Amino acid sequence: MNEINKIFEEVKGQGRNVLTYEESRKVMELAGVPLNKIAVAKDLDECIVKANEIGYPVVLKVISEDIIHKTEAGGVKVGIKSDSELKKAYEEMMESVTSYHPGAKIEGFSIEEMVSGVEVLIGQTTDPQFGKMIAFGIGGIFVEVYKDVSFRLIPISENDVEEMYREIKGRKMLEGFRGMPALKMDDLKSLLLNISKLVEDHPEIKEMDLNPVMVTEEGLKAIDARIILE
Amino acid sequence: MNTDPGIKALFEPKSVAIIGATPTPDKIGNRIMDNIVHYLVGETDRKKGFQGKIFPVHPKADEILGFKAYKSILDVPDEVDQAIIVVPPQFVISVLHECGKKGVKAAVIITAGFGETGKKDAEEEIVKIARSYNMRIVGPNCLGIYNPHIQFNGTFADEAPQKGTLAFISQSGALCISAILHSNKVGIGYSHFISIGNKADVDDADLLEYFADDYKTKCIGLYVESMPDGRKFFEEAKKITWRQPIVVLKSGRTSYGAAAASSHTGSISTQDASYEAAFKQAGVYRAKEWFELFDVAQAFSTQLPPDGENIAILSNAGGIIVISADKAADVGLKLATLSKETVAKINEVCPPTWSKQNPVDIIGDADHVRFRKVLQILVDAPEVDGVCPLFNPGSRAVPDKVADAIYQVSTTTKKPIVCAFVGMDHLEAFKWLNYKGIPTLPSAERAVIAMKALVDRGKFLRRENVDSLTRRYEGCK
Repeated sequence: MNEINKIFEEVKGQGRNVLTYEESRKVMELAGVPLNKIAVAKDLDECIVKANEIGYPVVLKVISEDIIHKTEAGGVKVGIKSDSELKKAYEEMMESVTSYHPGAKIEGFSIEEMVSGVEVLIGQTTDPQFGKMIAFGIGGIFVEVYKDVSFRLIPISENDVEEMYREIKGRKMLEGFRGMPALKMDDLKSLLLNISKLVEDHPEIKEMDLNPVMVTEEGLKAIDARIILE
Repeated sequence: MNTDPGIKALFEPKSVAIIGATPTPDKIGNRIMDNIVHYLVGETDRKKGFQGKIFPVHPKADEILGFKAYKSILDVPDEVDQAIIVVPPQFVISVLHECGKKGVKAAVIITAGFGETGKKDAEEEIVKIARSYNMRIVGPNCLGIYNPHIQFNGTFADEAPQKGTLAFISQSGALCISAILHSNKVGIGYSHFISIGNKADVDDADLLEYFADDYKTKCIGLYVESMPDGRKFFEEAKKITWRQPIVVLKSGRTSYGAAAASSHTGSISTQDASYEAAFKQAGVYRAKEWFELFDVAQAFSTQLPPDGENIAILSNAGGIIVISADKAADVGLKLATLSKETVAKINEVCPPTWSKQNPVDIIGDADHVRFRKVLQILVDAPEVDGVCPLFNPGSRAVPDKVADAIYQVSTTTKKPIVCAFVGMDHLEAFKWLNYKGIPTLPSAERAVIAMKALVDRGKFLRRENVDSLTRRYEGCK
C-alpha cells in the first residue's frame, strides 16, 4: 500500500485533488482491480507498434492535461481494427483536438485494448451522514438516466455484494442476455471487496469511479478510472 | 446490557420532578402534572397514573394537584431520576444547571425555541451541560415520554397509549398524538413511547440497545426526519437487528448537491440512497408510508417470521382475491403452490366452485366454520409458510365469529398470520384480534405488505444464521 500513499502524496504535493487517468489506473492496479491492457505512445509510429502488441481492436485516446472532456474534444476513437484505420483515426483526432482546444499541450496518446460487453459501474462516494459508501450498478454513459445503482456503507461483506447485485433492476442484462458474457459473482465480490478495502485503508479518497467496467468472458475489466481525494 | 443510568431513568423513573408545573388549569405545566397523576387511555378509561415519587417545582405554589411543590429542584429532599422541564426558553439553561447539581439522571426538555428556530448555540450549551454533569437530556422541543407498563405519561398530551410490545421513537411530537389515537382505536400497544425532539443529546441510536435488551419490547419503530450521525445509528442498529426488529419511516427525500458532484457515482448518490443503503445493510425495515410503519411494526412484534417464503391467501370475496394477488406480485410476495393433498382437503369443506388454487377463494357464502376449516388446512399444509386470511364483511359470516375462528387457528401454529378485515366497520372484532396478537389491517394490500415484511425478515434471520429468536417470540403468541 506504500506505493498508493506515494501517489497520493505526489498529487497533494502538486496542489491537486483529482488524480490523472494514469495515476488513477495505477492506484486501481495496485489495489487489485482488473484493467484492460494499455500502452502509451508519443507519436503515430509508436501508436502502431503498441497497437500491434496489444492486438486489434483498440481504442486511441489523447493524453493532455488541458483537455478534460476527451470525448467532446474528439480525443477518443474506438473500434480501430487495423494499422490503416489507426492512421486515419490519429489524423482526425489531431485535427479535432487542435480545433477544439487550440494550443493544448499534447503529452502523448494511449492505446487501449478494446473490450466489449455489458457495462457496469463501480464507484465510491463520501456521504455527510454515513461516510464512505460503495456503489455498483448498470454503467456506461446512461448511468444518470437509469440510476440503476445500489449503495452500501464501507466496509462491505460478501453478503452485501450479493444483495447489491439483487437490487439491480437491469440485472437480467448481466446474466448472459442475448449471448453476451454473464457476470460471475466471484469476480464482482473480489472487485467490490478490493475497492472497499482500498477506501478503508485510504480514507483520504473522497470519490471514485470505475465506469465502465466491462463484463467479459475473461471476467471484469475496468476501462476507465477516476479518483478524487478529499 | 445497557447500563447508562440516564437512559434507564428516561423509561423507568422511580421519581420525577416537573419543573414548570403550575396550579393553573390548562397550562402545559398543569397538564403534565395531571397526566403524571392520571394515566388516560380512551375517553372514559381514566386509570391511576405514575406510582413513583412526584415533585412539582414552582416558584410560588405550595401544592399542585395534592403534591407538595418546591421552589427549586435543589430543595427536593429525595433523589430525582427524571426532571421534566417546561419553563420558558430563557430559563432552561439555569434550570439544567440546577438539575445537574441535584444529580438528576435524565432531563426531558419539553420547551421549544432552540435548534428548530436556528438557535444552535443554545443546543450546544445543552450538550455541554449534559456531559459536565453526566446527565442525559432528551429534547428540546418534544412532547415527552410514556411508559404504559408503569402508567407513566410524562407528556402534555392527555391521551396515552396502552400496554404492548412496540417501542416507538418519534421526531415529530404532533405525529405522536396521531399515532396514539390510531393505535388505541385499532388495538396496538406499546412498551415505550418517546418523542425525541431536536436530539441535542440523546439521539435514536442511544436508545436502540436499551430497547433491544428490554424484555417487554418485541419491535422498535421510528419516525425520523433527520439523523445527524447516520453512521452511529447504522452501527448500533446492525448490532441488534438479529435479535430485535427495527422499522423506520424516514421522511424527507431531497437530494443534496447531486448536480455539483464531480463523479458519476457522486451525481447519482443522494442522501436518500445513503439512508436506503444503511437501513438495508443493517437489517432495518424501511417503511415508505405512515401506516405501513405501524402495520409492519405490529406484524414484527406479534408474529414469528416464516421459515420459508411461500404464502397462502384466503378470502370470501373474489375481488379481494384478485386485488391481493396483484399486490403480492407488485411487492414480490411468493404465493405457495398448493399440493394435491391440500386441494383435496379443501374440496371436502368447500363447495365445488372454490378457486382450487392459491389465492384461495372460499366463495361469498362462506360462514365462520368454513373460514376456520380452510385456514386450518392452509396453516397445516407443509408447502405453506404463512397465511393471510382476508375477510370481507357483509356476507354470511359473522365478523366476531370469524375473528374467533382466526384466533383459534393461530393458537395451533407458529406460522405467521396477518389478517385483513376489509373496511373499518367491525372495529370490535378487528381490535380484539389485534389485542390477541394477530395483526389485523383494514385492507388486503396492507396485509400483503406486512406479510412480505415478515418473509423478508425471515430471510434476513436465515442469512444471519439466527434461530434462537424463536424462543424470544414464544412468549407473545
